[in-house]
Amino acid sequence: MIHMASGDWLDIVGWSESFTSWSMDNVHDVMPSNDIDMEVTIPSTWAWPEPITIGPIFNLQQGFASIQPALESFMHATIMCTVVFTVMMLTMLAIPYIERKFIGRLMDRLGATTTLRSLWVGESGVTAGEWWKQLPFGMGIPIGWVFNLLNSYWGNSHELETVSRVNNRSYHGYWFLLPGFFQAFADFMKFATKEHIVPKNADKVVFEIAPVIILATTIMVFAFVPFGPHIYAANPELSLLFMMAIFGVAPLGVFFAGWASNNKYTLIGGMRSAAQLTAYEIPLLITVLGVAVLSGSFNIIEIVDFQMGQNEGNVWNIFLLPLGAALFLITMIAEVERIPFDMPEAEAELVEGWWTEYGGIRWGLMFAAEYMRSYAACILFALFFLGGWEAPFQHTLSGLSTVGGTFETVFTAVPGLVWVLIKAWLLFAVFVWIRASLHRVRTDQILEFGWRYLLPLSMVNLVVATILRLEVWTGEPWDLWVPVTLTLAALALFVILAIDEDEEALEVQRRPYSTQAVVKASPGSHRD
Amino acid sequence: MAEMWISMGPQHPMTHGLWTLKVKVDGETVVDTEPDLGYIHRGVEKICEARDFTQITTYCDRLCYASANTWSHSYIYAAEDLLEVEVPERAEYIRLVAIEIQRIASHLMWLGAYGPDIGNLSVMVWCLREREMMMDLLQELGGSRMHYNFPRVGGVKRDLPHGFAQRARAKLKLFLNRIQEYEALFDESTVFLVRSQGVGYAKPEEMVNHGVTGPNLRAGGVNYDIRWAHPYSVYSELDWEPPVERSSIKGADCYDRYRVRVEEMRVSASLALQALDKMPGGADTHHEPGDPMILAKAPTRAPEGTTGAHHFEDSRGESMFYIAGGGEGRGKQPYRVSIRSPIFITIPFAAKCMIGYKVADIPAIMGSFDPCIGETDR
Amino acid sequence: MGKIVPIKTQRAEAEKLAAAISEIDGVKAEVAERACGTNPRPVVLGNSSPESWRALAETLHSEHGVDYCSMVTGVHWPEGDGDKKWEVVYHLMRTGIRNPPIEDGLVQPVIVDPSTVEGSDTPLELELHVHLPDTRTPSVDSVQDIWLGADWNEKETWDLVGIDFDGHQGMRRVLQPHETPKGFHPLQKQHRLRYHSFQDMYDDSQGFMRKPADAGKIK
Repeated sequence: MIHMASGDWLDIVGWSESFTSWSMDNVHDVMPSNDIDMEVTIPSTWAWPEPITIGPIFNLQQGFASIQPALESFMHATIMCTVVFTVMMLTMLAIPYIERKFIGRLMDRLGATTTLRSLWVGESGVTAGEWWKQLPFGMGIPIGWVFNLLNSYWGNSHELETVSRVNNRSYHGYWFLLPGFFQAFADFMKFATKEHIVPKNADKVVFEIAPVIILATTIMVFAFVPFGPHIYAANPELSLLFMMAIFGVAPLGVFFAGWASNNKYTLIGGMRSAAQLTAYEIPLLITVLGVAVLSGSFNIIEIVDFQMGQNEGNVWNIFLLPLGAALFLITMIAEVERIPFDMPEAEAELVEGWWTEYGGIRWGLMFAAEYMRSYAACILFALFFLGGWEAPFQHTLSGLSTVGGTFETVFTAVPGLVWVLIKAWLLFAVFVWIRASLHRVRTDQILEFGWRYLLPLSMVNLVVATILRLEVWTGEPWDLWVPVTLTLAALALFVILAIDEDEEALEVQRRPYSTQAVVKASPGSHRD
Repeated sequence: MAEMWISMGPQHPMTHGLWTLKVKVDGETVVDTEPDLGYIHRGVEKICEARDFTQITTYCDRLCYASANTWSHSYIYAAEDLLEVEVPERAEYIRLVAIEIQRIASHLMWLGAYGPDIGNLSVMVWCLREREMMMDLLQELGGSRMHYNFPRVGGVKRDLPHGFAQRARAKLKLFLNRIQEYEALFDESTVFLVRSQGVGYAKPEEMVNHGVTGPNLRAGGVNYDIRWAHPYSVYSELDWEPPVERSSIKGADCYDRYRVRVEEMRVSASLALQALDKMPGGADTHHEPGDPMILAKAPTRAPEGTTGAHHFEDSRGESMFYIAGGGEGRGKQPYRVSIRSPIFITIPFAAKCMIGYKVADIPAIMGSFDPCIGETDR
Repeated sequence: MGKIVPIKTQRAEAEKLAAAISEIDGVKAEVAERACGTNPRPVVLGNSSPESWRALAETLHSEHGVDYCSMVTGVHWPEGDGDKKWEVVYHLMRTGIRNPPIEDGLVQPVIVDPSTVEGSDTPLELELHVHLPDTRTPSVDSVQDIWLGADWNEKETWDLVGIDFDGHQGMRRVLQPHETPKGFHPLQKQHRLRYHSFQDMYDDSQGFMRKPADAGKIK
């Protein structure tokens, strides 16, 4: 049975194509269709016996018809690029917001319940004031009732009065617009208006080229990323290959930036970055290859379609390749240089690493590029492993007896873009969670981890994917036992590895890793 | 790649203070180091030659601003040795409470700065919040958040405020629970273990020969502590043990130094709680400032030829004041005040410890020795 | 209760040490008491001539187990009597620390029970004074190779007070800037504190205007 590509009503590609072809057809029809004879006949002379006719015969309409496909595709591409870029930038506004707020909450260590309660209780006596009274037409009065009700049942007890003083943060911002939302705009304005400083002996050409490379390749990645089944800028047959290739060009820009700044710190940062990114490209590519092998295609939309499957029995890739999902997550965190892998820009040692000498808009755009890469990583994870624009249990829910119809309607009404975004944002919250809790791994340990652990594991993942595709896949929807077995096996392995068995030995040993010191340090070995 | 000298500092996020560490690197490996101090040398020793003994206490707070109480008490004990004053017992207990709470606050500051050095940003906020609790307690005792000017020659400037004991107990007990959260974030993180174990080895005998004491020394497997070796104050009346960490066979590494300080926070909290329980006169009685129960009458002049010195267990090691009497005003001011800073000696040692490791280990090693430049430069 | 080193043991050891080093020519030692708040403690107070300082230091290190140099202080006595124009005060300690033993590949931490220390493991405190006669270039033998803790202390003493140390490798300014003029050692008594307080120095309460008499002077 040939399966149809998945779709929803938000068919921007289709609209754009039909709009461009409609407008081009109109132009075509408006063009004059008569031949304009611009031939010139040179009469024969003693040099040439026959008269020579040179010059064209213009037929505007036919001429236009011959270039119309090219024009249409150009216009369509421009429209789609603009649309996708806008969608990407607008939806990316959520990313720094998530980062800031989630890290703030983790650092507060207030916990989910306390955070929720702080909506009505405030924090240590500081509240937002009686904000509902500012609503017009007395709309706020029922809100005030709810507020007082919540406070009376789940209000503040005064046992923690002693320590409540340290929680003294107040609640600024308009209540209806997420407070702190405009911080990103304010930051960007600041970067945009700062002075452009080039270090004195820097290689000016390379210094200027480097941010261009980084930013350009990052944005180009989004050309191939489908935000929904019909929202993409380009969809060649091998979109996955193109995209991973472009994703891997950024290390070059990073190295240029580190070297061109004429600064020892940035040089070290650039070298570390080049080494790290190169080391983690390979497991990343092999993992992605595993996904492609399993899904049978190098086209991202077809990968998502593979997960959505036929009418029933579809399985998201994360349950078929749990190891691959974990590898993808880890290698992507290393690729976008977030903690725990942010040694190239480790603030404690290198101030800002390879971008220390950049200021103003160049720094701002590279900072944005880092978040764009994280965002791309999150979206790719959602597309490769989490079923893209499919709602969880979409087929099962739609197939239920009575309520299935309602679900069907809801799923049809909600465009796929929404699901992709929700998954990507939640995954970004996981990125932030990891960032807030882990320490920075040292460069040689990062490289050791990448080459000696992740690379073999990605090979294993590839083998698993190949076996699944060749031996287990029958063209029919997956049997239930396949994903269940794989997921349970992965969980069991994780649990076994996470449990420390020999507590005593660990307690006594507690020194699992060693470092290689070049020369043993001891006082007196320091030459004056 | 050729070797090159990198200058880390004086403006650098790693250095925990204003100093320069010039590092010679060969690729990523540290080959040589040279520390450069003196950027905030304020000439405290010279200034003290023109101040009365009571006026000097304020300067000593500002020596190591993260651990102000320990320094002013270190000076006061030396001044009491010089002027030969006997201190009432209640005052000693109050001093102990102040010193131990200050030690907790100092270690919290250290831990809050050490986490970001290694990459963990959350723990800075967590530790500073607990430090706020400690600073609140010290503010009740001393009057300000950082520089308290708390002890006087012969006692303390005022008694425990009303309700202080109850608040201190609540906060210290809460703090003891919170320490487990820091341990969870550090000890259970393989990344931290990998970063801090096997890095920056130092053996006790070389540390002692080099002049390094305090938690850095106890990380090496010896439990030497000035508080029992040359006892002062009322530590003998309380039940405590200095925490010791079993090091590795190559010496104490950064992980050991971290663990010692975490355990020291627990020990200090327990010392403070015991002192509150055992306070002569009870922790809830309150004497007016100047009451002989908390402040003994002390002479203000030290004739020429007298000297006083005192070794003190500061949060970072052994601090010492040496005062020679007989200065201006017929002995009202000292002739010479000499201040021994543990970190002044530890920084060159730590700089040597770094040789052979990677650039990325520099903040890990430096941070684990807990530098505070205020006392280094005086 | 918290154990501390018994004062009797410390006093006995201090007397032994004082007697032992008094045998050296040019060295006089006795046991004094420190007030230490509520616990008086013995300290070995010694006076050595500059010539015998090096021998004394080596003896202390090799025979008496003094392994820790706490501080090296220099004092300038322009009006001191006789030999005491310059003074170097050494604060040393005996800690009794040894590297912990290693058994089965594991370090066994050394937990000293303070109440049972005895003999040469007893922690001791020493304060040794070396007086120097009047000279423009005071100098004492360096003990940098005996105790590394003296290294930066000696640098600081030279930097601030001006007492040089013979045999010290790598003498340089440590607290003052490297470009400080040669011969400027601020803790010498001829350098007076010009201002004793904020009110002396500035003419207004916020510290913007210097007093007219000090116009143009460097701080």
